[in-house]
Amino acid sequence: MALHISTGPHLRAKADTQRLMLDVLIALCPATAASIYFYGIKAVLIILVSVAAAVLSEFVWQKLGHKTLRVNDLSAAVTGLLLALNLPANVPLWIPLIGSVFAIIVVKQLFGGIGHNFLNPALAARAVLLTSWPSHMTKAFLPMRTLLESAAEKGVDTLSSATPLLVPGMTEVKDLLLGNIPGAIGETCKIAILIGLVYLLVRKVISWEIPVIMVGTVALCSWAFGADPLKAILSGGLLFGACFMATDYVTSPMLKLGHVIYAVGCGLMVALIRQFGNYPEGVTYAILLMNIVTPLLDRALKRKVYGEVKQHG
Amino acid sequence: MAEKSNKPTMRGVFVNGLLNENPTFRLVLGTCPTLAVTTSATNGIGMGLAATFVLICSNVVISLVRKLIPDKARIPSFIVIIATFVTIVQMTMQAFLPSLYESLGIFIPLIVVNCIILARAEAFASKNGPLISAVDGLGMGLGFTCAITLIGIVRELIGNGSVFGINILGAAYEPMLLFVLAPGGFITYGLLLGIINALTARRAAKKGGDQA
Amino acid sequence: MKKTFPGGVHPLPSLHQGKPLTNDLPVKSFVSDTVCIPMNMHIAAAPSKPVVKKGDHVLMGQLIAEAVGPRGVPVHASVSGTVKDIGMVQQLGKTTSQCITIENDFNDEWVELKGLGNVENCDPEQIIPAIQAAGIIGMGGAGFPTHFKLQVPPDKKVDTIILNGAECETFLNADHRLMVENPVRIVDGLRAAMRAAKVEQGYIAIEDNKKDAIAAMEAAAKGRKGVTVVTLKAKYPQGAEKQIIKAVTKREVPSGKLPADAGCIVMNVATAAAVADAVIDGKPLVERVTTVTGKVREPANLMLRVGTIFLDAIGACGGYSVEEPGKIIAGGTMTGICAPNDTVSMTKTTNGIVVLDQQEATSLEESSCIRCGRCVEVCPMHLNPYRLKNLCDANLLKEAKEDHIMDCILCSSCSYICPARRWIMSSIKNARELIAQRGI
Repeated sequence: MALHISTGPHLRAKADTQRLMLDVLIALCPATAASIYFYGIKAVLIILVSVAAAVLSEFVWQKLGHKTLRVNDLSAAVTGLLLALNLPANVPLWIPLIGSVFAIIVVKQLFGGIGHNFLNPALAARAVLLTSWPSHMTKAFLPMRTLLESAAEKGVDTLSSATPLLVPGMTEVKDLLLGNIPGAIGETCKIAILIGLVYLLVRKVISWEIPVIMVGTVALCSWAFGADPLKAILSGGLLFGACFMATDYVTSPMLKLGHVIYAVGCGLMVALIRQFGNYPEGVTYAILLMNIVTPLLDRALKRKVYGEVKQHG
Repeated sequence: MAEKSNKPTMRGVFVNGLLNENPTFRLVLGTCPTLAVTTSATNGIGMGLAATFVLICSNVVISLVRKLIPDKARIPSFIVIIATFVTIVQMTMQAFLPSLYESLGIFIPLIVVNCIILARAEAFASKNGPLISAVDGLGMGLGFTCAITLIGIVRELIGNGSVFGINILGAAYEPMLLFVLAPGGFITYGLLLGIINALTARRAAKKGGDQA
Repeated sequence: MKKTFPGGVHPLPSLHQGKPLTNDLPVKSFVSDTVCIPMNMHIAAAPSKPVVKKGDHVLMGQLIAEAVGPRGVPVHASVSGTVKDIGMVQQLGKTTSQCITIENDFNDEWVELKGLGNVENCDPEQIIPAIQAAGIIGMGGAGFPTHFKLQVPPDKKVDTIILNGAECETFLNADHRLMVENPVRIVDGLRAAMRAAKVEQGYIAIEDNKKDAIAAMEAAAKGRKGVTVVTLKAKYPQGAEKQIIKAVTKREVPSGKLPADAGCIVMNVATAAAVADAVIDGKPLVERVTTVTGKVREPANLMLRVGTIFLDAIGACGGYSVEEPGKIIAGGTMTGICAPNDTVSMTKTTNGIVVLDQQEATSLEESSCIRCGRCVEVCPMHLNPYRLKNLCDANLLKEAKEDHIMDCILCSSCSYICPARRWIMSSIKNARELIAQRGI
């Protein structure tokens, strides 16, 4: 009889890396559905290209490098989907392709693969796309539906507009919530994002600290700067970034206290970039900056270890 | 890795600078101009050749006067000699290549503090004869030139679709602007460094395998 | 109010910690036809020295091996019969152990026993010698000699004894059943220990998932001097010595020190029952309750003689319910020790035998840490398990020591929860052995 021998634990928790990534994908479903509802076939194509490119480049890299095939842990699919939902609807399809390949090969695999990247791959790729092809990336288009309706009403063909951040008071809160505003395909419908957030919280994939504190900091800062906090929260990619990007395990701190500092830092940077910066939207850079701070936080913050006390009595 | 016991040969010193101790990819020296001016191949080659000229001249002069310079005053003396040649380069360039001079800008005077040049003065020219010092300067300078021209080619090609100003990828290519910006410099440098390290490691492994 | 410690995990939620298999089953007696009793069931002292020869006839409870050194523990015959063999046998440990094999004559003829009588009236000075003579060691798993634990050094002030009835390990119900079926003995044992160690406060700490045990113990503790039943939150590792002290008294054992430095002594409830048997009746420790569960046909809580072969105990439960068992664990699935085969013996510390099938037993492949922070969250000692694992893998033992690796209690909560299936606790354990060997 050949018995297995090992140290404990002999049975493990059910949630493994693949299951956690699957949960993130499920949480992104509402936002994905909303993007397809608002932008139609364009959104479908962007998402397909982005996810396929991410998964394929991970597969090819691991195959060519004779590494253990870990593409089925779904992390590449998550990266691809996150990137896709962060793109505006009218980008040419080579944008998600290059973005996904860059995210997976340069940002993730070159630093050692899953768990070793120091930046969130999807965000880093978005920043690269944003600096490389600003014309494609900042042209935010109104959702297809609005376009069709307004075209019918006014008889215009297309209508391009800046993000609502640049035109304060232009949009209604209801439109902000539903996603009837210009922006990246996945980040406009706040309700879909919040459904995803609730799912992640219920499944205990993430804890509430990072999204809540980050959004709260932005609201507080915009209130201090004299802007409408509610609109500050609901506009741009803030909610999407706070729920799905800032909460990325690999690039956020390990300790709870680290989470708090990291989230405050993210929120502060978003508010400062929005208020004083040249960019229309600061969420990407804010989170990337705090990604870089993460190793420092992990190193600097210490918990009191059990037993670090004076003797009793 | 100049062997202490064996006298360095001309060929050995030259190849050493060009490949084995390539200042950019092996020693990772002079990274400031490497990152800053390599937005195009022309800039790269211009910067490289300017540095090579300064390197050869300063190596020869320092080697000639090496026995006259008191040990304690050697760094200031080196700097003065290097600065002389940098000024010559700067003025010549301003006179005959004004467009290159414009695009390299502050980085020409900054050759004075390029650590490759000072390092060769300290490590080689102040210990060896003028002829072999000249060869060392040539090897190191060409190594530097090749390296930053390579970085320049890659960045210009991706970031502008052209090489040496000649459009290669056609009008339909939408250049990836990032590569001619600062982050692109770091990314290109890092990637090339990584590729060269991987190739070297593979060659070393092969050699080790043959010996075994 | 339920007391607890920060951190910890709720293992195997879908199986309810594997407890429902046996938690309502009354303890059954089982006696096998031979027992093979190891001489090194305890820790912290040299193995006991056999005093019988092959062919001797022994009675139940007869001394068959004497204690070596002041911490040493004697061993008694757990059946009456003939000594068949004295020799080295592969047991649970890494090397073989000296064992005495006795063939049972099924007469269960006891040697003459002489107890001290009532625990409240007997001479307290006599209690510790009686415990030592009965060969009692910590029955929760560690096997530390109980008589030595109760001898508080004069420079330390101990004011609390905590009886550990948490039984936070998965699958096990041995302590649970003992508390339900024999609560008075446990309280007697606690009182004896309190009088021996001159301690005024005694707590019996039980997790809130054992309501019947809490009720039984509360009834038994009523009117007993200084004895309180404490309800703990059901969470692993609630029963770890340092965590139960924190939960019950809010004190922390200083790093690298003993519970006595926090004014506490922690004893398992089964140990307390054995102490009562020894003090009241003079009965040595020859049998204990063990939960035999997992992939066996009829999981059960068995009263087993010390030295019972695993296969016999499993046979008493109808045998394996799978074609080929994958793992046989002495203890629960969090920290239990794997048996190399099914012919090893149960000892005074074996509180459970858990059989896993091949699929459950197959090692999971380690993948990269995804920095999810779960290990940090669950670590009951507030360490950074992910960082310790990296330091251990990189062989940076000195740095690992500075990062408090020696404070780890090896509860394996971190490995359990890790989504990347990393063997964190294993690496820490190996590194600590290396640190001890090299004297870093």
